[in-house]
Amino acid sequence: MKKLFSLVLVLSLLLSGCGGAAPAETAPVQTAAPETTEAAATEPVLGSAPVNLTFWHSASDEAGVLMDKYIAEFNASNPYGITVKGIYQGQYSDATTLLKTLLSAENYSELPDVMQMDATGKMAYVNSGKAFTTQDALAAYPQPGFLEDYLPTALTNWQFAGTQLGLPFATSTTVTYYNADLLSAAGWDKAPDTFADISALYADLTAAGRTEKVLQTIPNSPTLANWLGQLGSYLVNNRNGADGVATALDCVDSGALETFLTAWKAMYDSGALLNEGSSSDLFISGGVAVMTGSSSNVHSILTKVDGAFEVGVAPYLRVNADAAYGAGVSGSCVVMFDSGDSLRKAAAWEFVKYLTSAEVQADFAAGTGYIPAHKGAMDTAVYQDLIAQYPQYAVAYQQLMDTPETITSVTVGPSKDFYYAVMQGVSDMLEYDQTPAEAAEILEDELTMLLEDYLRSNS
Amino acid sequence: MKRYTKERLWDALVSCIAIFLGLIIVFPVIYCILGAFKTPAEFASPVLLPKSFAYLENFRNALHQAPLLRYMVNSFITAFAGSFIRLAMAVCAAFALTHYDFRGKKLCFFFLLGTMMMPGDTLLMANYATVSRLGLLNSYLGMIIVSFVSASQMFLLRQKFLSFPKALRHAAMLDGCGDLRYLLTILLPLCRGTLTTLFVQSFLSLWNAYLWPLMVTASAPDMRTIMVGITKLNSWEDTNYELVLAGVTISLIPSFVLFALMRRNLNKDNTDGSLNG
Repeated sequence: MKKLFSLVLVLSLLLSGCGGAAPAETAPVQTAAPETTEAAATEPVLGSAPVNLTFWHSASDEAGVLMDKYIAEFNASNPYGITVKGIYQGQYSDATTLLKTLLSAENYSELPDVMQMDATGKMAYVNSGKAFTTQDALAAYPQPGFLEDYLPTALTNWQFAGTQLGLPFATSTTVTYYNADLLSAAGWDKAPDTFADISALYADLTAAGRTEKVLQTIPNSPTLANWLGQLGSYLVNNRNGADGVATALDCVDSGALETFLTAWKAMYDSGALLNEGSSSDLFISGGVAVMTGSSSNVHSILTKVDGAFEVGVAPYLRVNADAAYGAGVSGSCVVMFDSGDSLRKAAAWEFVKYLTSAEVQADFAAGTGYIPAHKGAMDTAVYQDLIAQYPQYAVAYQQLMDTPETITSVTVGPSKDFYYAVMQGVSDMLEYDQTPAEAAEILEDELTMLLEDYLRSNS
Repeated sequence: MKRYTKERLWDALVSCIAIFLGLIIVFPVIYCILGAFKTPAEFASPVLLPKSFAYLENFRNALHQAPLLRYMVNSFITAFAGSFIRLAMAVCAAFALTHYDFRGKKLCFFFLLGTMMMPGDTLLMANYATVSRLGLLNSYLGMIIVSFVSASQMFLLRQKFLSFPKALRHAAMLDGCGDLRYLLTILLPLCRGTLTTLFVQSFLSLWNAYLWPLMVTASAPDMRTIMVGITKLNSWEDTNYELVLAGVTISLIPSFVLFALMRRNLNKDNTDGSLNG
């Protein structure tokens, strides 16, 4: 009996310590060799045998219901005998964690054929060594002019070092929402356009006897990149990490960071700004006059406001009157992995084309409020009806068309840490009354350290 | 008389403080349940109570958008089996540490304590690699194997076992009782309260697990747990808390039932009379 108990104890010791094992080696970086046209011609063609695909997605709530519908429709309608198994893998960041873990464990058999990912997964995909990019697919299955059907800004968002990684699926941008009734009370008949307008609006509201603040938000890395982009600067080098791995900040020497921080602090000092994390709740309950948020939220905000006041949508706030209009693209794309099976890769490409087709994009836009990335979707009756019912959606589309190239999303390795470091740095400036120059220096040190740490551990 | 009044006043004060503290602890649960009955517009307002408890749209949508009932069954299987095995392992290890003398016993004990200092997240990748190589991905066993051993449970049970007099075991042995019989028929019944507390605590932590079950079942969506289902109710770029709270309220039901069933056992630790007769 003593032996039995001792055995269990030993087993417990082994199991309790099993987590301490050294992590598996990182998968070596490989690049999927693009198939040549000749090679593709000799390989089995779609339709010659049934194909089963795995598709990881992060579509939740209404989007999840729609995603299930698209998968079912594709399975029923495609003429090639392709069956897609859609698997919800949690939120984008969870799916990225899963991807990194699989790659780290070299468990490539668990990789999906197609995956929906947002910017947090971009570098993991690039470094996976198992990427079968859109560029690879277009080389293997040539379709001249194929990419011209998509909005250029949406496409650019999913490029790295000049390679088109995936195709945009859920596309949104950031716009300004305003409470038209509160603005009227302050004597305003147009939406605020710049940070200075926010301060002026607050002064007018106060003069009219109102106690509401105007804006409640703390900038994070994507919003900071937007505002720096308006000033003609990138947050990090290599075009915000789109042309190559970001190695340094790009907004300090140009003075753009300090210009932004100065304008931001002036807005706070005027009393117009609440230095709190952005939430639509305060706007919906009438507590603030203006909020910035995803263009995909129009329907949801209108539903929640429920007619309590008139909701207006305007282009994204500008730092100052000299800044360009626009905001970067956010949302997600669909990427493919190299399974080593040419039939599965061809089938994955068919599925990706289906998900990003004009019809699906228009239907998805009508169901969720995202901007269809396929130009052809604009002409569909579904999308036309949406614009007729909610003209507010048209603002986002137009903004996306007008956004200059300098406004592009940030791709950095330590994306999550960057996100929170920017929030912390800007919030601390207001809370501890730092000068914009001091805050810029602190932010520079913090963000540079994050980049260097990442480069050191991934070199 | 005066002393009696003073005691009553003191009792009343302590009760009031206890009720107040209890309300603070229970408030998130109350808020969650009340929020689940609110419309989106109501949720944006600061009013605590919903206009009507007949508004069940959130529950209907939650059950429509994610197979929560199926996920609850999976959660129950993993939480129940995981807690049971974890407790069994802890009992055996604690018994060995308290009733046997062997070389390296202290080292074993401190090694166990040392594992309590490791943050769970740091073990994620290593555990995944281990489970993957054992071929346990996409299985219930893979979901629970990493929780079989809990150093804190072993520690607590060891301390509990040490609180019993050695005479108790000697008396049992004189009556012809072996180690296994002594453990099962004498020691464990005397620790019913501790065992129940540890089981409930373990059940709740496994019930609430999110990232590990998500990762291990990457290719088996039907094996997903309730917490994964709840994230499926969360919108990408918007906050629809009322729907999430409806999902959380549904997920709370088994925990409430378990707590109600086990409540009577929670204060059943008792050695009175164990050495009599």
